[in-house]
Amino acid sequence: MVLTALVPPSSSLRTAADRLAALLTGGGGGLADAGNGHLQFDAEIRLRPLVRAAAPPAEVWAVDGGQAVVADARCLQLVVARAARTCFRNGECAVEDEGELRAYLLGGREDRAVAAGLSLGIAEDAAVDLNLLRDHEEWVAVERCIEEAAPGAMVLVDGDLEPDWRVPPSWLTELLARAAARDVVVAAVIKRSSLSRGGAPLLGALEIDAARELGPRALWWAPVARSRAGARVVAARLDADAPYAFRVDVSPGADPEEILARLAALCDDAGFPGYPYPLTVADRLAACPGWLRQDTWYELDDLLDRAGVPAEVRERAFADRHDLMERF
Amino acid sequence: MSTGRLFGKNVLEGVFRAAPDEDLFLGELLVAVDEATGRRYLFRIVDVTYGTEHREPGWAERVAGTLLVDDARGEAGLHRLYDQSRRTYRVASCRCLGYLTPDGLDFRRPKSLPTQFSRVVAPEPADFAFLRTRMGDLPVGTLRSGETEVDFEVGISGKSLASHVGIFATTGMGKSNLMMVLAGDVLRSAGRYGLLLIDPHGEYRTQLARHPWAGERLRTYAARSLPNTSSLKVGLAELTVDDLRTAYDWSRPQEEALYELEKKFGGEGLSWLVAFSQVEDLPGLRDVELNGRVAMNTLQVLHRRARRIVDLPCIAADSHVSVGGAVLRDLREGRVVLIDVSGLGSTEELLVASFLARRVLEEWSTDYLEDPEAHERLPVVAVVLEEAQRVLAASKDRDSNVFPRVAREGRKFKVGLCAVTQQPKLLDGELLSQFNTFFILGLADEKDRTILRSSSKQDISALGPEIQTLMPGECLLANLDAPFAVPAKIHLWADVVRTCPPPPAPRPVVAANISAMVD
Repeated sequence: MVLTALVPPSSSLRTAADRLAALLTGGGGGLADAGNGHLQFDAEIRLRPLVRAAAPPAEVWAVDGGQAVVADARCLQLVVARAARTCFRNGECAVEDEGELRAYLLGGREDRAVAAGLSLGIAEDAAVDLNLLRDHEEWVAVERCIEEAAPGAMVLVDGDLEPDWRVPPSWLTELLARAAARDVVVAAVIKRSSLSRGGAPLLGALEIDAARELGPRALWWAPVARSRAGARVVAARLDADAPYAFRVDVSPGADPEEILARLAALCDDAGFPGYPYPLTVADRLAACPGWLRQDTWYELDDLLDRAGVPAEVRERAFADRHDLMERF
Repeated sequence: MSTGRLFGKNVLEGVFRAAPDEDLFLGELLVAVDEATGRRYLFRIVDVTYGTEHREPGWAERVAGTLLVDDARGEAGLHRLYDQSRRTYRVASCRCLGYLTPDGLDFRRPKSLPTQFSRVVAPEPADFAFLRTRMGDLPVGTLRSGETEVDFEVGISGKSLASHVGIFATTGMGKSNLMMVLAGDVLRSAGRYGLLLIDPHGEYRTQLARHPWAGERLRTYAARSLPNTSSLKVGLAELTVDDLRTAYDWSRPQEEALYELEKKFGGEGLSWLVAFSQVEDLPGLRDVELNGRVAMNTLQVLHRRARRIVDLPCIAADSHVSVGGAVLRDLREGRVVLIDVSGLGSTEELLVASFLARRVLEEWSTDYLEDPEAHERLPVVAVVLEEAQRVLAASKDRDSNVFPRVAREGRKFKVGLCAVTQQPKLLDGELLSQFNTFFILGLADEKDRTILRSSSKQDISALGPEIQTLMPGECLLANLDAPFAVPAKIHLWADVVRTCPPPPAPRPVVAANISAMVD
């Protein structure tokens, strides 16, 4: 496709590129988080060297969620979600729990029934979608980990310490307080951060600054903000060969530098330098790949058949009309 | 304990996953246990590769790169690989050799798939029991699984000597040792089989003499004066023009001249060579006796060769001293006849070999045609020839050459060839297909392996890497008796000599009780 002069100037690729260039090279400016308006940003971001601890925490839990749409009739959707947990003790994997695959029927009046069945203080009339369901599974799993973790353990979460907006902030505050009371630290690692500075992605800019100031192989961290629940939001590079830095949220009350130093000791996997290995295991366990979706569909189809729903009705209800446009 | 779990691929090929530290070897024999059917599928590993659960392209290279950079910086150990036993593994590609029926009695060719994810385990002795009846009465070594020797004897049937045996290996891979082990088996066979072993290098004489049965069953003829040997003498009258044509390279005019001279001088066999070699007036012979039909140059070549042949120490003008009859007698009695031709040139060696092979073929075929009962009693005899490509190459396949005739016709007369060569690629493909038994030792040349693949009686198409990596003494035995190419480790000759029991003492003759005969 070629954009021509007929396109209004304000929507041309050149205009967009000019604006993007200005943002990426402008430097400075205010901090923001496009995905969350509740962060309280530090006045200044200062890069600090980080020294990896000699050993990671003796016990580390990791949680990640997965979800899939099994059948989609637009007005009705059958979705599945689950949260996987893993536990490493003294560097060895001790628990691998891919989590129960929970199925929900969404759409129309069904949402209310689903919402009523959720915990975490979610309102019964809350709008329900797949993101909420996955988040719900994840935080229920985090809660279980905190309860089962030994004192001094660390619980890792894939994402941030800011649950879905439909989960009351007080619920998380109370959960993190319970964790602190049990001497359990909760740390969340975000792979796709929406933090920005002057409208430009913050982490990329910090990576460039750190390489210049501290050297290309330096481990570093930088406090960025505080969350509503009091978690410390930082940017950190956790391995000398890490290709990227991540946003990390550390539960309130903990010393972020000390936590990051211990977390860095978990980021020495040769396959994923700079990312905590237990989270990669949880990610693998929680994933809902195509074969799982297909398998669940077959099971659903069988159940519908037994319930007396004719094949034609089943087929037409969930037919993907986009298929009409498929070309060889 | 499981070695792995089967996950692919089809009826003839299997693929299984094993732990990253599972030490898998090319040629290793393993069993897939099909719990659903009770069958035990026998697999042979033909390749082993790395596997990883990470699907991103270049993951493994990236990990290797990270570790390599750590090494280069002197920081080995900075990074590690968590859960290595889960994230990485080995994938073994196998050929399915067949399966044992649930009762363990029958072994069948593969025609069905084992249940997916069946356990792959090390074989048990009972898994090879079916082979026991197919390993014949000439043991050569032990079954080999990869680099492990299995306590199971491997060999061939003595009767299969008649359907020809090929021994193929590059230098130093154990041809001579295998040959001696086979000869030792024939020595012990107590007359059931005979072996005519032409030894151009004199390497077998002292070794075979050490065998406990050598005193009774080994006869050695030598072209040189050597201790404990009979003198090798071949009468010119017993040799033929065909023997000359087999041993020497002749041009067409030279061959025609040979027949002219044979006609001119007459006499039995090549006895005329004596008179011809003594001719001093070659131009006169050419112009007067041969009417100028032979070119002078041709006649001079023939004359030089005639003088050389007549002067050979193993050639006798007197037919009565020829060993031909004695060799045939020994072979009829099922002995190993060693012809030590060390000291002779390659062509003279072939002359002797051609003569003896022809005599054996004639004798055995005559009995077959004229006295079938006597033929029935004759032992199976094999003629062993080193550097067999000299007489079994496509360019050597002529009516006059006795060796292709043995290859094509010898089986029904109970006369076989045992061809030893480093270069099977030089053998005629059609002749090679007559060989029912192959001993394949290490062969580095792909062309050598290719011709064996096309002629082997068992499928060895996937075994190229295994053949390439065979160690000295390791071999693949492919014949019609075993259902697949059997990997073996050949016995060491020294061990054979050490462990072979001596022949039983002759039964004592009871002295006649004369008094009992006197009334």
